[in-house]
Amino acid sequence: MQVSTTSFSNNFLYQIGQLQSQQTTLQGEASSGLSVTLPEDNPGVMNQVLNLQSEASSGAQYQNNIAQIQTSADSASDALNNLQSLVEQAGEIATESNGVDSSTQLSSYASQVGELINQALQIANTQNSQGNYIFGGTANGSAPFSATTDASGNVAAVTYSGNASVAESEIAPGLTVSAQSPGENNTGSGPEGVFADSRTGADLFSHLIALQQDLQSGNTTAISSTDAPNLTKDEDNVVTQISGNAVLQSTLTTAGNITQQQVTSENSQMSNDTSANMAQTLTQLSQTQTAYQAALESGTMIMGLSLMEFLS
Amino acid sequence: MISLFGTLDMAANSLSVQQEEMTITGQNLANVNNTAYADEQLDVSESAPVETAAGDEGTGIQVNAITESRNPLLDSQIQAETSTTGSLTAQQTNLQNAEAYLDEQITSTSSSDVPDSPNGLAAGLSNLFNSFQSLSTNTGDNPNGLSLRQAAVQSAQDVAAQFNQVSTQLSTVQSNLNTDVKNDVASSNQDLNTIATLNEQIVAAEAGGGTADQLVDQREQTLENLAGLANFSTTAEANGAINVSIGGVTMVSGGVAADQLETYDPGNGQLQVQAQNAGTQITLTGGSIAGEITARDGALASLQSGLNTLASQLITQVNSIYSPGYDLNGDTGQDLFTGTGAANMGVNSNVVNDPSQFQAAGVPGAAGDNKVVLALAALGNQQLAGLNNQTISSNYAQTVSDLGNAISSVTDKLNTSQAVSQMLSNDRAATSGVSLDGEMTNLIQYQKAYEASAEMITTLNEMLQTVVAMKTT
Repeated sequence: MQVSTTSFSNNFLYQIGQLQSQQTTLQGEASSGLSVTLPEDNPGVMNQVLNLQSEASSGAQYQNNIAQIQTSADSASDALNNLQSLVEQAGEIATESNGVDSSTQLSSYASQVGELINQALQIANTQNSQGNYIFGGTANGSAPFSATTDASGNVAAVTYSGNASVAESEIAPGLTVSAQSPGENNTGSGPEGVFADSRTGADLFSHLIALQQDLQSGNTTAISSTDAPNLTKDEDNVVTQISGNAVLQSTLTTAGNITQQQVTSENSQMSNDTSANMAQTLTQLSQTQTAYQAALESGTMIMGLSLMEFLS
Repeated sequence: MISLFGTLDMAANSLSVQQEEMTITGQNLANVNNTAYADEQLDVSESAPVETAAGDEGTGIQVNAITESRNPLLDSQIQAETSTTGSLTAQQTNLQNAEAYLDEQITSTSSSDVPDSPNGLAAGLSNLFNSFQSLSTNTGDNPNGLSLRQAAVQSAQDVAAQFNQVSTQLSTVQSNLNTDVKNDVASSNQDLNTIATLNEQIVAAEAGGGTADQLVDQREQTLENLAGLANFSTTAEANGAINVSIGGVTMVSGGVAADQLETYDPGNGQLQVQAQNAGTQITLTGGSIAGEITARDGALASLQSGLNTLASQLITQVNSIYSPGYDLNGDTGQDLFTGTGAANMGVNSNVVNDPSQFQAAGVPGAAGDNKVVLALAALGNQQLAGLNNQTISSNYAQTVSDLGNAISSVTDKLNTSQAVSQMLSNDRAATSGVSLDGEMTNLIQYQKAYEASAEMITTLNEMLQTVVAMKTT
């Protein structure tokens, strides 16, 4: 077969073009550490990476949600523990007042209960770090509990202006939780109210006000027969709330750990899918460079030769 | 027996033939780097013998014709493969442009970094749903809540802007392809005219028994140039002309450009090709025009359509959840997204100017209610019937992957086509190409033959002088 002069140079250009292209690809892999950068490199991997990227991003967001809810849950936990302590103190006063005849002593107890009512009001209007009232339900933009006082300055009634709903947030696909509890829920359904709930009979402010009034009037019979049992209901209600908060915290911790594992796994999968095998890449790059160098040297050597050179 | 003068004529004729051989060799050497040139040879044969008593005596050499080593079958194969390469190259170039505009490029700034695609719509869509998630944790009328509303609105604006940008860029690619089709049709017509003119000249040149190799080379070069633009079929006529048909319509008939290509708008703004005189629509299967139309109406149209469907679904689904919601002022009924598709998608200017109007709540007067924004956040994980039961993110990933598959497929075919072209070129070069070494060998051969003929004349001259001297002495 005759080898024409142009066919040799054309072949030579085609071959070094192919080698240059391979070198560019391999050099790109070696410098970036990635075997896939564009959709055309590996459409299947690109599809998988974009889906994993979306899932990992959602996972990171779930972790942010969990951290946010955790902060609110901590605030609620502190408030509930203080409230439990307060209700216990009120119960102790109710117990201690049983059989006390001294009006002075009963009046002193009444004053203590008055202070407890004010402390409970303060707890009821607790705000979280974002400025939301944690016991206002979803109407949490303003203080949910407000008191009216009588001529003596004692709290005569406490009004709840929040609602019985809570805002939930997603901490995993399809799993929503809430760190909120409504201050009151007398609707008979939905989340239990912390201070009053028609299903449990809890009505802390009314019960504390009644206790204070009974102490002031010396009606110890009512204290023992009505006020003390009512306060027990209030305490049970608060304990239930504390338990619920503990369950929430545990759920958050578990969900956080699972999400962390998933995000780590997804990130690892993305790295595995896209990372270049450096040993293989560098070896191939070295081979291609050698082939390129050999092609250049042999090509220039052959192109410099012709019968004409010998004849001249 | 041939006389001395007859032998002298034979030697002189031989000199002339060797000189012509040298001329042909010179022509071949001059065109050594001309890829369209076919190696020429002088077709010679022994001239008619003279009958003598001793038998037939040779009278030397005669030139029959100048021939070129052209293989029509190989030429035809190269033209077909050039059409394939032209089509695939046009497709690859334009699809890669679209790929660049999507900006889905996996990067990793350091070895400890997780590789991801941070700039494209995939990241934008994730940010949008994450911003809804963030807002769901605090929709309150407080500084943090308001900043989260602002962030959600900003994410929505970013996504809308990304859809707008990609849509505009893809429309530009499609518009540029229309321009390319128009330009390539003009170039094709120019080539068709050139082929007709060359046909006419070749027929005229060969009518008198001559050869028109140079014109044939030019015509072949023009045919291959045309093949890069549009696929065609040819038929050779006995007089040396080549007829060219495109899509079954005769475009060149002998020396006449019988018809031309022209573009027309079928009504959707996407130019198609038809025969100007015949008025027949032509469906090209090769050449850059076919590649441009295939890319425009195929993968690019699918990409544009996929993005439009995605944007439309996003707008509809988000608004259907968002519209019944309530903002911090207790107002309701507005949409979050405006527009109907990727090109005109936007965000309601009211909420852009005042993020407190973001309708995050399911009930009025409850700043902390997040039912609507929670549902918006959950939308990111929902499989939507309008997206083939895929989530918004996975549908987009599929759209990107489909484009990647289209490019990858075209690239594979193009690599094969280029290799085939290279192989065919080698085959043609083996038969039609000029070999420097071969021509140099011929040069020596013809030079030696020329020297021998010259020596023959010298010898005959001496013999004639001897004969003349015999008479004078």
